Amino acid sequence: MNPHADTIVADAAGNFPAQSLALPASGPLSAPAPTHTADPDQPSAAVAGWAWRTPLGNHSEIILPRLLAGERAARINPRFDASHYACTLAASIDTAPGMARQRRYLRRMGLYACDVAQEALAHAALRSGEPGGSGMCTPERLGLFFGYGGLRAHWDDLMPAFEQQQADADGAWQHGLTLLHPFWMLQHLSNNAHAIAAQELQARGDGATYGGANAGAQALAAAIRALAVGAVDVALVVAYDTLIEPEMLVELAARGVLNCAREAASVAAPYAASACGFIPGEAAAALVLQRPQPGSLASVQALAAGDGSAQEAQAATLARLASKLARPGDWFDGAGLAESGFDLLERQALARIKGSDTPLTCTLSAMGQTGAASSLVQAIALLELLQRQMLAPVAGLAQVVLGPMQVLTQATPCSARGAVALASGAPGLAAAVRVSLE
Amino acid sequence: MSARQQVVITGAGVVSPFGLGLPALFDGLRSGKSAIAPIRWFDASAFPAQVAGEVPCDLHDGGICHAWLQAALAQTVPPAMQNLAMVSTLARYAAIGAWRDRKTVFGLLAALEAWHMAGLSTGPATLSALPPDGIGLVLALGLEQGFLQDFGPVFTGSAIDWQVVPPRPGIVYRAEVDLCAQLLTDVLPLHGVQMINVSACAAGGLAIAQAASLIERGAASMVLCGGADSMLNPLGLGGMSRLGAPSPRNTFDACRPFDTRRDGLVIGEGAAMLLLESADNARARGARVLARVLGHGSTQDAWRVTAPRSDGSSAARAMQQALAHAGLPASKVDYINAHGTGTPLNDVAESRAIASVFGAHTPPVSSIKGAIGHLMAASGAMEAAACLLPLLQDVLPGNCNLQQKDEQCEVNLIGAQPVLLAGVAAAGQSACDATANAADAPLALAPANQVGVGDPAQVAAGVQVVLSNSFGFGGQNVALLLGRAE
Repeated sequence: MNPHADTIVADAAGNFPAQSLALPASGPLSAPAPTHTADPDQPSAAVAGWAWRTPLGNHSEIILPRLLAGERAARINPRFDASHYACTLAASIDTAPGMARQRRYLRRMGLYACDVAQEALAHAALRSGEPGGSGMCTPERLGLFFGYGGLRAHWDDLMPAFEQQQADADGAWQHGLTLLHPFWMLQHLSNNAHAIAAQELQARGDGATYGGANAGAQALAAAIRALAVGAVDVALVVAYDTLIEPEMLVELAARGVLNCAREAASVAAPYAASACGFIPGEAAAALVLQRPQPGSLASVQALAAGDGSAQEAQAATLARLASKLARPGDWFDGAGLAESGFDLLERQALARIKGSDTPLTCTLSAMGQTGAASSLVQAIALLELLQRQMLAPVAGLAQVVLGPMQVLTQATPCSARGAVALASGAPGLAAAVRVSLE
Repeated sequence: MSARQQVVITGAGVVSPFGLGLPALFDGLRSGKSAIAPIRWFDASAFPAQVAGEVPCDLHDGGICHAWLQAALAQTVPPAMQNLAMVSTLARYAAIGAWRDRKTVFGLLAALEAWHMAGLSTGPATLSALPPDGIGLVLALGLEQGFLQDFGPVFTGSAIDWQVVPPRPGIVYRAEVDLCAQLLTDVLPLHGVQMINVSACAAGGLAIAQAASLIERGAASMVLCGGADSMLNPLGLGGMSRLGAPSPRNTFDACRPFDTRRDGLVIGEGAAMLLLESADNARARGARVLARVLGHGSTQDAWRVTAPRSDGSSAARAMQQALAHAGLPASKVDYINAHGTGTPLNDVAESRAIASVFGAHTPPVSSIKGAIGHLMAASGAMEAAACLLPLLQDVLPGNCNLQQKDEQCEVNLIGAQPVLLAGVAAAGQSACDATANAADAPLALAPANQVGVGDPAQVAAGVQVVLSNSFGFGGQNVALLLGRAE
């Protein structure tokens, strides 16, 4: 019996040889072992502007002091009564989004996405000395790349349509679907925010909407590639997501990944011995990118990959991505899943790349897990922290569980010029983003 | 920047309303028949739209039957592909109810067919020869499927009581947007770049363009790409019906692209996957090349959310970008596979766009949506796979159901039946296997057909270059240029 044969053959009784059963629990093979040298061919883009809406605030001058103070945005869920849910806490955006007639097809997070898209572009135009924005590029050369976390269907809106439905959905049309709002589908289409932002900003170039828990990183990577090949001259990258929806809380609780503390002060932070789940959050963030050029403030790189569904695969994939981007002197912003097993695997995997003394913080410990928006939120946080030459602590972390990496429990000065942020989605795909000052 | 890598297609897999596999799609298109039929898997008799391009499959507990999937696998790929790890993984996904999301099953089958056709396996022979950057995955997926039947048991009064124990374990209420990608990543060694595109009706074409772009600039040497979608469920059909998008006819010819009587689309479902790789990589491993990806273009209307630009200018720009990317003049295109939804607005806007690029004498144009319906996020990928028919067998699909050409659609429309070139099997006979040496068949011009087919000398050389359009909700436009294998 050749254990490496492509075909495993049963005997006449239908039994497989015992040797052939020693196969990976999931997936055909583990991901390749991480290398320890950054990939010099990874393209980068210059950061020209940014904007964000987060549970810690809507502007950097508000957010950064709170981040450096180790504040956490987690509190009793303000979005709806979750008192009887497994997870009662959430980190939500406190302000209302902007509204306009052409945005009538959008729901809440899509509205935030359009807000940050406009604001980021205005920020970039201002920084470039073109307040009107007309000089940055022509509409045909402005690309729009969106990251969308998934259908957050606001099922309560569908009550009239659902109320009389049968358990087997028999007779669905006459039992209520006739009562669906005519534009229900438009309101929940995956790329409606992209379409409306394109209309508002007259972005007529290349672009797409990406989906999934690491969609922000996907959008960022796609935008960087589009710039590199000359498909666009300016790329606006927007990502938005909320995990604070009833069906998301039910699903994530069923997976056992949410923190079930009843008080925010009781939430164990990532990398704590008692870490037992993350806080669901939400965010919308946007970055304006151009091709690398002299005088730019910072550059960004991004990678997104699949990691299967096994925990080991998740940490190994994150390390593999990080190894392609990280350079000497970089610090890390961890995925912040706050699950003791994963947290340790993550630290071990990163230590193999960059050594046990590399600083490790976690923006998402303060913001909550922000799904598809995570990579962009992290990228902006990294940019702001690098400029300030300060590392933020892991919010709420008093004592680090034994393990590698220099996990930060307080704000720390640091003169590093680059940092790498990791996101694992909840659940979903892996992502890594590197920001470096020019 | 180093020289641009050439991109070739070495594998293709399809699950369509015509059935399993690329040959089934080819057979269906060659027959000139419509796969549109009354919806079978749930009772749609009261819905305004009651017909669809439905993939024939067996059901269990509201999802695709695992036994049907196993049988489909046996039909699609050899037993050697189905190692214990795959069997175990599929059983795990079945146990959590993943097959309730129909497109996940379709995507899996299409991916495995493409994988196998490309000469890849799931055993050590393939795994040891993987490119250093891994094989990438660029997937177009449709809106997550909502499971209406899950909500009924959790009502309390007039509200959903989320605290009620879900009616079943595993996947409930709504499938994850990237469930299909998770499955493919668990089944196949896809450790390279991964992108999931949810740009609605343009997503499938964008996925192929994006995969090609990765290879062109050396960011990947092999990429599995394509799309999977199914809105064929009560909530999906209900939402589309309330929007007024589907044709109110409930006949097999409800979708009539470019016909003056057209009045809406017909929903279809399915998946199409292509294995793209660099020409160098294909040559090095001795892979058989099905076709080439010559160019692509992508633009955004930035006009209206629910309607395309009436002048088709942004769509035209996407086509022009694709031609420029390929370094080809418009005159080299032998066939255009149109987006052609059969809606009043799209078809005339697209015609204007085509005419503005190709002039008064456009290449032959057809849409396959009359035959299989609008596969939404998978449509661009399905239509790219359909473009292999002219490139491999010199058969141009017809505009199924076209009887009265809309004079506003000023393009060179193929009639309702496919255009057959002499030397190729006639309609009604079994099509050649997609990998057959179709080039060996003698070619000669058929007698004059319903529409002119362009330069006779050019046509006598066989179909060399085809253009495939996809236009999505919100004004996303993508154009793909595919070429015959060298």
